[in-house]
Amino acid sequence: MSDTGKKTGMIAARTIMPRDKGAAPLDFVIAVMALLAALALGSSMIASRAAEGWQSGLSGRVTVQVLPPETGDVQAGLDAEVRSALSVLHATPGVAQVRVLSDGEIAALVEPWIGKSGVVAGIPLPRLIDATLAPGEAMDTAALQARLEAAAPHAVVDDHRRWMSRLQGLADTVRYAAYGILLLIAGATAAVVMLSTRAGLDAHHDMVALLHQMGARAGFIARNIEWHYFSSALLASLAGTVAAALLFTGIGSLAIVGVDAVPFLPPLSLTLSELAWLAAVPAVIAGIAWTTARLSVLSVVRAIY
Amino acid sequence: MVRFENVGMRYGSGPEVLRDVSFLLAQGSFTFLTGLSGAGKTTLLKLICLAEPPSRGLITLFGEELATARRGELPALRRRIGVVFQDFPLLSHLSAYDNVALPLRLAGKREADYHRDVRELLSWVGLGDRMTSKPATLSGGEQQRVAIARAVVARPDLLIADEPTGNVDPEMGAKLIRLFAELNRLGTTVLIATHDRMLVEETRGREIRLVEGQVMEMRQTAARSA
Repeated sequence: MSDTGKKTGMIAARTIMPRDKGAAPLDFVIAVMALLAALALGSSMIASRAAEGWQSGLSGRVTVQVLPPETGDVQAGLDAEVRSALSVLHATPGVAQVRVLSDGEIAALVEPWIGKSGVVAGIPLPRLIDATLAPGEAMDTAALQARLEAAAPHAVVDDHRRWMSRLQGLADTVRYAAYGILLLIAGATAAVVMLSTRAGLDAHHDMVALLHQMGARAGFIARNIEWHYFSSALLASLAGTVAAALLFTGIGSLAIVGVDAVPFLPPLSLTLSELAWLAAVPAVIAGIAWTTARLSVLSVVRAIY
Repeated sequence: MVRFENVGMRYGSGPEVLRDVSFLLAQGSFTFLTGLSGAGKTTLLKLICLAEPPSRGLITLFGEELATARRGELPALRRRIGVVFQDFPLLSHLSAYDNVALPLRLAGKREADYHRDVRELLSWVGLGDRMTSKPATLSGGEQQRVAIARAVVARPDLLIADEPTGNVDPEMGAKLIRLFAELNRLGTTVLIATHDRMLVEETRGREIRLVEGQVMEMRQTAARSA
């Protein structure tokens, strides 16, 4: 602002439109809608990431379970069948890595069901062999099962397909639910921004008519007014989005300080690139406000002679 | 400058408030529009300042026939007209200075170019110390003077005013008429609607008298002063 402007209260062209004192509740509503939209967007990204994580965690792997024989020396029988199964697996094309889970790892797997009471110490547990397939390799489970049965009659192959399809179904449900919620909130946000913009313009109808009557072109009036709504919607929605980003970051910090997330669920925090996606929320909201204001002003001006 | 040919005007399906109005305002003329309340003065002024289209008849403004003018040409025509009107309020959130400067800003001028003019004009209408005041803190007469300053600041080709001296004391009224006369001397065509017979009789110019929406009389006024 120029010195002369300061002396006289002269203001920049963009502020011909008054900044309403009563606009604070509308700004608050836009901020809340932006918060909800950013939470929905973040949640849909988390759900999507979780679905991919579950799938990639289980695909490309085969677990062979060797059950203890019912008769004879159980431990020696188990060891012999594990060795035979390992030989079969090593000889199977496409298998990149084979690893027998230790007793401790097996005990940890059953712990959620029977606890640490030591009651299983004397009970022979099945042995688990984790086979990792080479990237891009597919496994003919039936053929492997047939070869294993010949070498180790108590070996059972599990390619996780049943578990994975259920998990995939759950992940898809979560993902599509998140997309649905995101869509609903985006629609509601757009409606609120449009309604508030139109309500504000109704209040300034006389001013629009006066500027028009003084010879202002529709574009000049629209520029002043759309800037007003664009800037206030941008600020309000930025505030809401930043709050959502802080919330996601805060949840991420809980894991760091030792508050564990729920087992099987993905971490509820966002990565940096996912956080960057949240910037789309204020951009879209400000864009809606800008477009609504412009179209409304142009329609008001066109309705005047 | 302004030509009306058989112009008629009605609002919606109501009665005609102007009927077969024909007259010519020559460039550089100074004209009073008189008539009783309800005679159609304000409606006629609204037609001239392009606030309303006529129901019938032809209006020619600055050589442009309005019936055939493109919509995009109207803003430029409006900017050539200074208007002092009750329906033409000040913008309440802008200072007196900014209200007066508005036509210049709409014309795309920079503040550095018009700052001195706006200050001088506000001082001339007695508001040199109220430049930063908002309209709500100004009296009715002061608001009227700001509106007049806004109407004349861009030195319009045509100035139309509806009872411009109605809210000011006689001394300021005479001063404002001198301002209009000075603008007229510099080439602005002036049309003033008024009830003030003394003002009409004391100022050099022409009078168009409206009666029930029709032009009853057009005459030259006495010229004791101007």
